[in-house]
Amino acid sequence: MRREGLTAGVAAGFAAIALAGCGGGSDGAQATAASVVTAAAECPRTWLAGWQRIADRVGAPVYCPTWMPDPLDGKIDGDYRNVIAVDDRDRSYLVSFIWLDRDAGGVSSEVHVNFRGYPGSTRVPTCQETHTVKGVTKRRPIPCFSDRRATRRVGGLDVDVYTVNQGIDQWHVLYAWRRDGSLYTVSEHVAPPYGFGRVVSNLNRMVRGLVLVEPAGAAGSG
Amino acid sequence: MRPALTRRRLLGGAAASALAAAGVYELVDRLTDSPVRPQVSGPLAEQHLLEGVQVVVDNGVEVLVPPLHHQVVTARLAVDEGRSALREAKAELEDVLRRLDERFQPSPAGLGATVAWGLPYFRRLVPGPAARHLPVDRRATAARGKRVLVLEDAVRFPSDPAETILEQNDVAVLLRSDSLEHVAEGARELFDGRADLFRVTSIRKGFAGGGFGGARSLPKRMAMAAGIPGADLIPETAELFLGFTSTQKAGLGPPRIANVETLGYSDLRPSAYFARGTHMHLSHLTEDLEAWYLNFDHQERVDTTFRPGLAVAAGTQTVAQDPDDVQSGAEVGKDYERFRRIGHSGSIQPSSRLDDDVTGPDGTVYPRGTAVPHRADFNTLDNPFFWSADPVRDGLDETPAAGVHFVVFNPTADDFRRNRLAMDGVMPDGSVLPFEPRSRGQGFNEILRTTHRQNFLVPPRAHRSFPLAELLR
Repeated sequence: MRREGLTAGVAAGFAAIALAGCGGGSDGAQATAASVVTAAAECPRTWLAGWQRIADRVGAPVYCPTWMPDPLDGKIDGDYRNVIAVDDRDRSYLVSFIWLDRDAGGVSSEVHVNFRGYPGSTRVPTCQETHTVKGVTKRRPIPCFSDRRATRRVGGLDVDVYTVNQGIDQWHVLYAWRRDGSLYTVSEHVAPPYGFGRVVSNLNRMVRGLVLVEPAGAAGSG
Repeated sequence: MRPALTRRRLLGGAAASALAAAGVYELVDRLTDSPVRPQVSGPLAEQHLLEGVQVVVDNGVEVLVPPLHHQVVTARLAVDEGRSALREAKAELEDVLRRLDERFQPSPAGLGATVAWGLPYFRRLVPGPAARHLPVDRRATAARGKRVLVLEDAVRFPSDPAETILEQNDVAVLLRSDSLEHVAEGARELFDGRADLFRVTSIRKGFAGGGFGGARSLPKRMAMAAGIPGADLIPETAELFLGFTSTQKAGLGPPRIANVETLGYSDLRPSAYFARGTHMHLSHLTEDLEAWYLNFDHQERVDTTFRPGLAVAAGTQTVAQDPDDVQSGAEVGKDYERFRRIGHSGSIQPSSRLDDDVTGPDGTVYPRGTAVPHRADFNTLDNPFFWSADPVRDGLDETPAAGVHFVVFNPTADDFRRNRLAMDGVMPDGSVLPFEPRSRGQGFNEILRTTHRQNFLVPPRAHRSFPLAELLR
């Protein structure tokens, strides 16, 4: 696959957690049918429990999707679960969904969406770029999200659009926004069956449908 | 959803139709206006030089505006071996070329026609005269300890895939103009109905043109129209698909510097038959635009296109390439040590720029730091060619793909070879920066794939038709 030559040893956060890379990770599940949930004002009933667990664990609001690109759904313990990770050091979280279509020996199509949150921090996190040549390794810090292309108003949020991202968000278009002192992101892989334009369209629709899930004990939701 | 365009693709035996067919490139005329070009005088002694090329200033840098339309036709010869047949062929082709000269001025507003000849021609049809008259590359001969001609077979370079095809065409014709019709007419005149002279092997087409006035550039428009993956990510005014300007005046060799005689690299032999000629390398490369724009941020694209750590404003596309901006081999080595990365332009400069002042035979002084290669490369959506006589071998695909037909004039094949090796970290002093082939530290080497290569010799205009044939005994 094209991306394999470009991994460049970038280490994302969540150092203690084995992340399934984009296209190289867990199988998730083979799609059998589209699972489309129409936009709603609240987190879909069958998805809510998982997102509530994340909110409770990080002690901060998280964004639950109400629409996901075909064939994914947003059920955290569902068929398309890829990586669910919380870094207890800073309460940042990653929720990743993936669908892979395999053919003779490789992945021919992939739909891969990542949700992240960084409670209490609005800074773009730092990743590490690693070059090893003849056994000598050089590392340097780089932003995990870069090449900001635009800032857009989508679904009431001011999102920054990043096109060069690291780790599990590599080869993704990523939307990032800030709310109440925290940074949140959602990204989708640019890969067949979805080209760049469709991915942007998917992200717009996902962001328009996001609803906040407050941690248990917190007042209100919206 | 935007429908992807398909090109008119004609398979074996239909070269004549493909010569004048515009395909997707017809859009070039619809998407842009022809630049205003200065008037020029008559044809120069050099075939490879175009007069009347406009200069604009972008980001404070002088930039040459190349012709909009480009076409290369390659062929094997169908001419019978032997003195009389070759002399007849020579007269026939020269007659066609002379008529084109009379009809079109040698500028982008008219038509530039450059006829270049491959080693198979010299070896098979004029071996005796070739042995006596092909110039010898003195510098390469001294460096390698054996006689090296200015024209050598093309080779695969470290970053080339094993599948890169090293071609064996007899002849290549480069046609350049702001007018698609001029290019089509030139191609028709030269090749249509001339089965007695040529068996066309490939037709390659493309375009050039940046959005220097602020409008959306031709490469961006064409890539978007063709539905190229990653087209949305090309900067709006980019001259090339990869997002940077590459025709900085200071980055291109001035007129005549790439002539075989100018820099004294060659022994022209007593006849000096090829004086005012040059060497031409022709290759095709595909570009993975998604990989480029989704994996390299702007600073990394600057780092690997020019030099690591180069400070430019966000979004900058035109970067100065003046003699003061040139990197030395030692500086490139330091970049490697520090960043494990070299810039494309920076790495080539130790071999592509003069390391001292040189005075040419016509008295022109070329200061230290002057660029030597005279590039004529152009964007293409060919995959890899517009038409091929051997579509299976050439891997012809209907789907448009972003790429470059790379055309460059150097004084010798070895001069091109030195530059291309430097791009892979093999420096002119023999030191090797130990990159893995196509590693990320080599920047856009990682997202380029060379599909075809061949070297040619461009004779002076006076000998452009079947060179040396008149000397057969």
